[in-house]
Amino acid sequence: MDANTLWLMTILGAPLLGAIVLVFLGRRGARAAGWIAAGAAAISLIAVLVLLPALEQGLTPSFGFQWIPATNIRLAMRLDWLGFPFVLTEAAVTLVALVYSWGYHHVDERSSYFYALLLLFAVGMSGTTLADATFLFYIFWELMLVASAVLIALWGEGEQRSAVTLKYFIFTHFGSLLVLVGLITLFNATGTDAFSALRAGVALAPNLVGPVIALFLIGFSVKMAIFPLHLWLPDAHTVAPMPVTIMLAAAMLSMGTYGVLRFPMGFFSRAEVTRFAVPMMVAGIVSEVYGALMALAAQDIKRIIAYSSVSQMGYILFGLGTLTYNGVIGATLHVIYHATVKALLFMCAGLVIRATKRRRIVELGGLLNAMPVVALCTGVGALAIAGTPPFSIFDSEWMIFSGGFHTAHIGLSTLTLFGSLFTVAYALWFVGRIFFGARPDGLTVDPVPLAMLAPTVFLALLSLIEGLVPAPVFAWVARELPLLLGGSW
Amino acid sequence: MSGDVSLVLPQTCLVVGSVLVWVLGRLLRTRNEALALLTGFIFAAALGLLSPVIRLTQAGVLPTWGHMGLGGAYLRADPGATMVASIALSLGALVAVYSGCYLSLDRRYETFYPLLLWLVTGLLGMVLAADLFNLYLFCELMSVAAYVLVAFRRGDDTAIEAGFKYLVMGSAGTVTMLLGISFVYRETGSILLLQPGTPTTWTRVGIACLLVGLAIKSAVVPLHSWLPDAHGRAPSSVSAMLSGIVVPSAFYVLLKVGLGLGLPAHELGTLLVAASLLGMTVGNGLALVQSHTKRLLAYSTIAQMAYVMFSVGIGLRFGVLAASQAGFFLLLAHAVMKALAFLCKGICHFYWGATTVEQLRGTAARLPSVAVAFAVALAGLAGVPPLAGFVGKWFVLIGTLQSAHILGYVGLTVFILNTLLALGYYLPVLGRLVMQPAAQSSGDAESPFELSPWMGVPVAILGGLVAAIGLHPAPWLNWSAQAGRFLGALGR
Repeated sequence: MDANTLWLMTILGAPLLGAIVLVFLGRRGARAAGWIAAGAAAISLIAVLVLLPALEQGLTPSFGFQWIPATNIRLAMRLDWLGFPFVLTEAAVTLVALVYSWGYHHVDERSSYFYALLLLFAVGMSGTTLADATFLFYIFWELMLVASAVLIALWGEGEQRSAVTLKYFIFTHFGSLLVLVGLITLFNATGTDAFSALRAGVALAPNLVGPVIALFLIGFSVKMAIFPLHLWLPDAHTVAPMPVTIMLAAAMLSMGTYGVLRFPMGFFSRAEVTRFAVPMMVAGIVSEVYGALMALAAQDIKRIIAYSSVSQMGYILFGLGTLTYNGVIGATLHVIYHATVKALLFMCAGLVIRATKRRRIVELGGLLNAMPVVALCTGVGALAIAGTPPFSIFDSEWMIFSGGFHTAHIGLSTLTLFGSLFTVAYALWFVGRIFFGARPDGLTVDPVPLAMLAPTVFLALLSLIEGLVPAPVFAWVARELPLLLGGSW
Repeated sequence: MSGDVSLVLPQTCLVVGSVLVWVLGRLLRTRNEALALLTGFIFAAALGLLSPVIRLTQAGVLPTWGHMGLGGAYLRADPGATMVASIALSLGALVAVYSGCYLSLDRRYETFYPLLLWLVTGLLGMVLAADLFNLYLFCELMSVAAYVLVAFRRGDDTAIEAGFKYLVMGSAGTVTMLLGISFVYRETGSILLLQPGTPTTWTRVGIACLLVGLAIKSAVVPLHSWLPDAHGRAPSSVSAMLSGIVVPSAFYVLLKVGLGLGLPAHELGTLLVAASLLGMTVGNGLALVQSHTKRLLAYSTIAQMAYVMFSVGIGLRFGVLAASQAGFFLLLAHAVMKALAFLCKGICHFYWGATTVEQLRGTAARLPSVAVAFAVALAGLAGVPPLAGFVGKWFVLIGTLQSAHILGYVGLTVFILNTLLALGYYLPVLGRLVMQPAAQSSGDAESPFELSPWMGVPVAILGGLVAAIGLHPAPWLNWSAQAGRFLGALGR
């Protein structure tokens, strides 16, 4: 066992250990819980970054051993270039969300469990990206759902939280089951659940290839909240406590993207996936426009940003559906950049709600003078999500559109391009309505904690830096392509 | 009398033990805790006496005991039977210990333990029997003990009603079985469980009667109507036995009787798949509208048994070993999970009289460890990884997909839709556990209760098992595979 393997185990081990420690400390650890959790998340992020040089050298840190020998089920993990952008995003988002919750979450006797569940949620996500065997993949995939559902059920806002949790659980579990059937079909075909066997080539009966890819695409689309499978998202994002919302929107949605890249595009050939290209692009456009329109119509400021996620996931699915070099790179970049910007916007919304105790957009307005820093950060977030240069999302949208115009479907690509106008509309309307205009009567502004403000400013700066210096991230993402569609680019 | 004596030693141990317990309780007024511990010890001893048989069957030998002309035997062990028997003995031991506190408010506790021992004696004899006559006798012994146990708290009107309903339905079942046995005997002149040759029309009529009788015992929809009443009204410890192992054991005997008497495997498989698809939908659908926790769990048993039946049915219909194996694995996992759920429910009932789902509110605040165990049981039943129920579901899907047949795919779709449907009642119960108790029921409710170790230890063991079976399923899978293989060899 070399150092890389240990670091690989640390990515999962640190948050897992942190969660266990917090559960055992119980109410005794309530005050220190935030620090312990953030410490564990920081170690996890450091472990991801430490492994970067190894990846650059062409190594793939991994380990594995037999778990259930009778049926060839393995316990194996592996970090490759395909997983790297996702695990990096997930670890970073977790750390930022945890720091933000120092200010957001009032310490009480259940605080340890709150932070422990946030860490378990993070374990579920990084485990999903690191798993190198189908059985293990599914266990982490469901851990992600269970941990987030418990967080929403226990710490959610409003009377509706039980019903919302039920809806969230059943919807996404439906997607998981479709994925499960796909996974098991692959398992039956290869006789082992190791991804290495799948990478070597899937020997599936020809009449099963289409259905299996369809199962994966539909199943992962539920997690990505693609119209019409998005119904769980607005409610879950609105009701969830803010750190959970940030992790849901910025990190968990992208697990759907990871799934599409890993299974249909990772293990099947271009010829087998091509027939799903147009459906993916169409679903992407519909989601993009629908999400943006619903964001314009929504009243609750968290709900507006939640619908914006539906729209943004539409861009990503469109980019994947182009099956071109630029489109797929753009989609993966969009995962990273969208995570930054969406976390930023939710944090801004959280600050506005904390300061004013109001969340309906019609009851807000004229906050520019009272909260200049938050206004600036929200402005950055809104311009970024609208795809304005020089902010990060401009780069990824450029690549997605360019990928679209490389295909034969120029009409669809033009539609996507013009569909992005709606994004501009809700983004600018959001900023204008909250920070400009007349201030409604009785709107008071309380000071906000620094622990909530600092990560917000950091993310605003990050989205600018990502946009100005895109080269390193481009280079990381481009190296995933040889792993996709049999490397036929 | 010849053969392997270790086949009868466990039953002898249980019967002798039951007399001992009764004498100690009735004549010497021994305390409830002592009787509970003694009964638990008797179950453990019986399990120890059964272990040579388990080892033999795992090595591929099927030991027999007794003689009845033409090479027949009274008892014959096989991997599936030893699996069911071991589950029954283990659950029996845990339930006995649990009753050490659970029955502390009952006055007639000294009759409970002998009845529990007889219940398991009958069960053991039934699954090990090698001829229809013994099978019938042991089945009756088990059933009579079960009727009385359901109505154990006779001060309660509903308990008597439920016990009576169970008695009527159960007797209809056993009478139908007896009719079936007489048809088979009239036609073949033999009452052996294993009969060579193709069955004639009258034998088939006999098999049909036997299957109907056993279907009542194993609550196959639409013959299930007694189960929610019986399991919902019985003391929780009894419900744990009934749902956990008594119903599954009748199902195992159904499989052995059907195949042993010569019903072709693919016919029985088709029947089972059809009945199971109806059963899981009805079970889950009716569980959704239940407000009483135990009735909800009882309907969930109907659904879960239908999953087992579905998997074994696919295995028999298409000769897929993986599916039969998954069926047996699920049977084992369900026994542990459902017993755990009932025992946790019993604790809530014992401490603050919770009967409805709504009254489970605040369990986490009052008894955190019980809430965790209950949550593990429900999450396991819902198939959340990495618990035992999920591993069962994973292998059911594997087996079904291996059939590569349209019936398999249709069944798979129904199965998956049912899994989602089931979340609709498991999740709200889970949610109630962690919610704050309703305002009006507060008062002394805020102070946490002290959980008695008599109830805590069995619950902790079962909770640990649910996780352990999920995380380390290999040995259980091997056992299930042997049971599946035996069943496959029995069919023709």
